Amino acid sequence: MDLFGHMSLQEEITNLFPMNLTSSGNNYGEGMQIMKRLSFWVWLFFFLTGGCAHRPDPVPSLSSSLASFQPRQFMVASNSEQIALVLPETLARSGNGSGDDEGNLNRVPEERMATTADPLESFQSSPEPPEKAGSEKTESKGDLQDEKEAGEEKEVTIADPLEPFNRAMFQFNDKLYFWALKPVVRGYNEVIPEPARISVQNFFINLAFPIRFVSRLLQADFSGAAAEFGRFVVNTIWGVGGLFDPSSSRQLNIPKGDADLGQTLGVYGLGQGFYLVWPILGPSSARDSAGLVGNYFLYPVSYIPPLYASFGVRAYEEVNNTSLRIGDYESLKEAAIDPYVALRDAYAQYRQKKIEARKGKSEPPKPGGVR
Amino acid sequence: MKRQFAGLSMLLLFLLVLPVYAGAPLDTVQADVNKVLDVLRDKTLNNEMKKEKLRVLYGQMFDEGELSRRSLGLNWRKLNPAQQQEFIHLYREVLEKAYIDKILAYTNEKIVFTKETMLSTDQAEVQTKIITSSKEIPIFYRVILKDGAWKVYDVFVENVSLAMNYRSQFNSLLAKNTPEQLLEILRKKVKGQ
Repeated sequence: MDLFGHMSLQEEITNLFPMNLTSSGNNYGEGMQIMKRLSFWVWLFFFLTGGCAHRPDPVPSLSSSLASFQPRQFMVASNSEQIALVLPETLARSGNGSGDDEGNLNRVPEERMATTADPLESFQSSPEPPEKAGSEKTESKGDLQDEKEAGEEKEVTIADPLEPFNRAMFQFNDKLYFWALKPVVRGYNEVIPEPARISVQNFFINLAFPIRFVSRLLQADFSGAAAEFGRFVVNTIWGVGGLFDPSSSRQLNIPKGDADLGQTLGVYGLGQGFYLVWPILGPSSARDSAGLVGNYFLYPVSYIPPLYASFGVRAYEEVNNTSLRIGDYESLKEAAIDPYVALRDAYAQYRQKKIEARKGKSEPPKPGGVR
Repeated sequence: MKRQFAGLSMLLLFLLVLPVYAGAPLDTVQADVNKVLDVLRDKTLNNEMKKEKLRVLYGQMFDEGELSRRSLGLNWRKLNPAQQQEFIHLYREVLEKAYIDKILAYTNEKIVFTKETMLSTDQAEVQTKIITSSKEIPIFYRVILKDGAWKVYDVFVENVSLAMNYRSQFNSLLAKNTPEQLLEILRKKVKGQ
């Protein structure tokens, strides 16, 4: 046995190899650290420049070029064909400055957006508006300036074939509000302090959880459904049966949302149909009325045994909700030149925007940079 | 050669991009809103003085012509220039009457500026929220770049566009009335109440 030789070999190994290992290990570790540090700075740089395109930041060039191009695509990305349409427009805007061409090019994608947004809506609209739209189109050919104006916004219109009936119902609800609901709410406000009323509202919102949860599921918005579920559990257990809203606290911050079945039908692509004002229930549409029926069955209050008790609870809920936004209807009415039309338009716009937001949500995530 | 080209294109990029950043939309709106809040918080002023100051700020913050045009849509062209001027004037008064009390009722609610989205090279949306005790109200400002300044041309309250809401009303009125009659309705609206 060559003990010495073996020893020397081991010595050699311990002297050289482990040394080498450790030294190379050190080098490797240092290299890793440098790499990590470097990648952190690279990451930080990209975060600052590209990550927050919506927010002005110290590096103007990259972020603003992102800002001017990306959100546009983000907004219309629901249709790949539209992205292609956006490009010539942005090019035209940055490229040539001749106003007329710009307006003309500008018009195209936005008009497309308006028509593709809701195929059923235009189909279902009453005989009057299409006629108008037709005449507008032929007229506006001569005037590019006006064409541009009209094309800037997606016009949300709702057909109103039952206008005489709706106006009558509007009047009825108006009187109901000023003669019955408002005096009751005033008295209620005198007796019950605001924090308590907010708690009552929280309680009813929490109770309506099934409507939102089922709607989110039907919209294939699973993260939204999970958030709703989380809110419900947290607010029911730690929020004393829903009286408080710990989910919205800074620590948890689970986003509040609303979803209902009418909205779900909208997400499926069903247009609003026509405007419909229900007595007591207020503004609605053909589509949302169908949704209301479903919502009724998903709302636990509907199952309180005698029917009148269930209605009583809903009436109380309405009184309480109104108590927290008393004056809103008055100011809408005061600001309006034709309150009926103002309310109709506000309803149509409000519902439409919610649905568009939801449609955007259920799609695959957008390219980075825009949140 | 390649490097030169790269340098040139970088320069071009900067040149193209800089005018857009003449004043970032969000910063402009935030500064304007803060000016309004300063007036509202100023306890040395009475309501009349506040109104006077707010009118001046409104003129600085809003592009009234643009807002009026958008509120009339295609019908804008049906008004002759004199009528258009009167419309702008009356519309301002209608808006003032409708919203001044709400604005003066401000009691230190928190206003948060959440984000800015460029809609095109000269238009942007600035999203804000008013947080009250019982709810959050989203308010979005649409701004347009004109002569190097960002000016508000539309306001979305809870996703409802002010200009579009009025446009629907003006459209329905102008379907049955002449522009002159519309102005008369507005005059009455301003005088009455």
